[in-house]
Parts: sequence; structure tokens; C-alpha cells
Amino acid sequence: MSRNEIAWKEQPKFPSTHFVDTRIYTDEQIFREEQEKIFNKCWIIGCHESELPNAYDYRTFSHPGGAKLFMIRGEDMKVRAFYNICPHRGNTLLYDPVGNTKRVTCIFHAWSFNAQGDCIDIPRSKEGYQDRYSSKDAGLREVKSEVGFGGFVWVNVDDNSGTLKEYIGDALGMMEENLSQPLEVFTYHKAIVNTNYKLWHDTNSEFYHDYMHYFNRITGMMQPGYFDRKYKGYPGGHASVGSMEIKYDAYAGSQERAVGWPGLAPGGWVLIDLFPGMTFNLRTSVLRMDTAIPLGPDKLIIEFRGLGLKSDTPEQRAERVRDHNTIWGPFGRNLHEDLLGVHGQGLAMREKSDSKWVLHGREENSTIHDEVGMRHFYAEWGKRMGRPAYDPFGDNKLG
Amino acid sequence: MDSKDFAGFLDLCDPAFRYAITAYIPEIRKEMTWLEQDKEGMKLLFDNLPRHNSDHSPLSRHITVCIVDQDEAKQQAKTISTLQVFKTSLDGGATELFAVGKIYDTVALNGDAPKLLDRNIRLDTRMLGAGYHIPF
Repeated sequence: MSRNEIAWKEQPKFPSTHFVDTRIYTDEQIFREEQEKIFNKCWIIGCHESELPNAYDYRTFSHPGGAKLFMIRGEDMKVRAFYNICPHRGNTLLYDPVGNTKRVTCIFHAWSFNAQGDCIDIPRSKEGYQDRYSSKDAGLREVKSEVGFGGFVWVNVDDNSGTLKEYIGDALGMMEENLSQPLEVFTYHKAIVNTNYKLWHDTNSEFYHDYMHYFNRITGMMQPGYFDRKYKGYPGGHASVGSMEIKYDAYAGSQERAVGWPGLAPGGWVLIDLFPGMTFNLRTSVLRMDTAIPLGPDKLIIEFRGLGLKSDTPEQRAERVRDHNTIWGPFGRNLHEDLLGVHGQGLAMREKSDSKWVLHGREENSTIHDEVGMRHFYAEWGKRMGRPAYDPFGDNKLG
Repeated sequence: MDSKDFAGFLDLCDPAFRYAITAYIPEIRKEMTWLEQDKEGMKLLFDNLPRHNSDHSPLSRHITVCIVDQDEAKQQAKTISTLQVFKTSLDGGATELFAVGKIYDTVALNGDAPKLLDRNIRLDTRMLGAGYHIPF
């Protein structure tokens, strides 16, 4: 039966943990608070160590909290992260996404910095600043960084944060063996989608949407073991999904994956979602890493990385590339569908579109179509935001 | 391809046809092959399209042939063309530039009619929104 306005806005017949108010996906104020209370407090993946193989290699990164960063490997081979901004007149220091430089020199007035963030030259410093200001006052703003958990370069703009290890806890334990060998990024692309970042992370946190994917229905949902996969929540809003054996040859034109991955059973698939917007997704021969970088409440950049083993032969690498791009590349079968899904949510859940509620009400003993992954995320979200996701403005008059 | 006459497209291809979409990815300083199929693989890809959820916005592929290099001994021609792909929305009909690049073709000339032997869509565009299920 269709519903009138009153019925449409009625509280869903679930506990308040099992639905959210859609204003958390559309409200500008909430988004600004998320930048401050979540993204600027959490460890975020900036890049992978294989993107900085040599001393003085750098990589730029738009931090989801808003700051523009670059990561650079020093002469001591340590990776450090800095604001990509000149302390003089606020100009961008590094424009190219990647490069190699011993001196980071601002194009504007030629102030120069080394890979430790020290200012090493201010042209005509003495003439202009006399003894009032010098290069020792003009160091770059360094941001906490650590390399770990598969060789990713993690950054945290909160100087008072705990360690990366404390942040991850046991959440990546399921992948410990999978991440034990040196990895290498072999593909990278971005997508801009007009949607909220949480909707993308939600998609990575529930498998009920496998109905959208013909590939996953035929190779997974229709195969033994699919409905036995279980979610496990970890402190901090992280969650994992256990493995099964995917029958890749069930999809016409596809085939059994031959290369595999250390510690993963043939046809296996393990997924770990890290709060607030990163996903380790390991299927047979490829590790896919998503990093969600919101640009606003309704605009999102997603960085997609595909990784193989650093020790790959050319033949192994070619097969990983094929495996990855068959489902996850820009012309792959699944990624396009996932992105269409969140694009459609972004279209429907605009401010003033009266969308009201999103349901996270499925309970199936934490198995694959249970929506516990999203519930676990929003419990952490509510704690960090000081607002419950089901009533973010305290005006829903819930029973 | 614009009219989704996939059978007609494949009729223009040699049995040994190879198709690829490639790009250079400066962020990681690596080459990438995003799609790679032989003729049978292309047919399976086309046959599977109705089973997938896809963006149905039509594409318009604009191709300008710039260089034709004919090899009489091999009875082949190699061509380089510039490519612009436009996407037109179904709701309202707004058209946006979707991708640019070059097409590197090898055409077999040893039969009754020219047949496409190899096609490499070399993209400059790497940010493709939600992507697309149908090759360029």
C-alpha cells in the first residue's frame, strides 16, 4: 500500500540503530562537522609506499578533512607528509601528482624546502626581514604519517592522535598473512560521483546489493557458501566480511583465476572496511583499495588502487591486471554498477527531496545479507559526531 | 557502435581481431590496459550487456583519421585517428565530453573487404565518472 506524507515520515518499525535520517547524507553543516570531528581525527590512506620507491619521490594528496598534502621520501628513505602550501603567501608548492625533487621550491617567490620540511632558502631574506624572521621560522607544517598494513602510507592531521596500530586494532587481522609480502600498486584511477561519501562506504559494507551485479549473482550468490559469509565488527567502526569460493568460470567469457594470492584460498574473497571510508577488498589475485574523499555533502572523489605482489613476474602481473579490470576497472562489469547505484542515491537524496529515512534493518545472524556492517559504522559515526544518525538534529520526535 | 549494432561491428573485424583500451597513468607512472579482448571475447561482452545494469546514455564517437600507413607487402594498413567521445543524457539531452584519446588501428587488406585486425583505444581521459560497460 502506498503511503501519504504522514505515513512516509513515520519512524520505521525498527530499533533506532536500524535506520538513519537522510539529512546525514545531504546537510552542509553535518559535512563540515564530519571533516572536523571524523576526517581530521582519523588515520587516512594517502598513497602506497610503492608510489614513492626512491629518495625524493613525492605524491600529492587531497585530504578529506580539506588540507592539501604531499608525501615525500627523504634521503633517509623515511616517508613524511606535509601541507602542500607555502608558508609565505599560501601558494601550492607541488602541482604534479607525482615527481622527484631534492628541493621543493615555490614557484611564486622561490622559497625552498627540503624533504624534512625545513625551509632552506628565502631569497633576499636578510634584506627584507632583517633579524625579525628567517628560514628557521618558515618550516612546513608536518602531518603525522606511518607506513604499514600492506605498505600503505597513512596520514593523520591530528597531532594528538594515537598510533596507527591503535587506530586499526585487530580489524586487519584477517588479512595479516595476505599483507605479509611487499605489494605494488599497478593501477590507479579516480571517479567523481555526486553522492555522499558514506553511501559509497555503505555499498562496501553490505552485500545485499549483489542483486545489482549479474557477475556476483552468477559467480557468488548462486554458489555454495555464499550465505555463510559473516560480518565481524571491530572497535572504531571497522568491519570485515569472511571468505567464500567464487566460481569465476560461471560467468560466460570469464575463467578460473590461476594466479591467486598468498594466504587466500582459490576463488577466495575477503573484505575489510575501515572507518571512515577505506576498504581493503581482496579477490583471488588482486587487492583493491578504495579511499573515499568527500568534496561536500553531495560530491565525492573515490581513489581506486589495484595492487599485486612486488615479486610478480610479468605474466603474473598481466593476469592480475586482467582480473582487476574485468570487474573493477572503469570498463569493468561491477564497478560501473556500484557507481551507478550511489549516483542514483545521490540523485534521490538531495536536500529538500523529502527522502527522510534509509533502512539498515536486515538481520540474518550477521551473515552476508545482514546490514550489521552499516549499523556498526553508524554507531561509531554517532559517537564521534555527538549526534545519532537516526535523529541528527534532535527534531524527529521518535517514539 | 554508436547505434549498438554490435553484430555489424564484429562483421567488420578479422577473426584474429584484438581490441584494447589503454592509458598511461602518471600518478603511478605506469601503463594500464583497462580492457583487452579478442573477437570472441568482444562478442561475449556484447551478449552479456543485457544482463547487467548499465548507464544507457548514448555515446557519440567522433573520429578523425590523421595518418594512414599502408604496407603493400603485408597487405595491411595502420591508421592513427583522434577520438572524442560525447555522452548525451537521456533526461533532457545535455551532451558532455566523456573522453578523448587516439585510436591505433591495423586493418587487414588481404580479403574481399578490409577487416579490422587490431584496435587500441589509447585514452588521455582517465577520469570516466561511473565508467561505461560498452567499449569505445
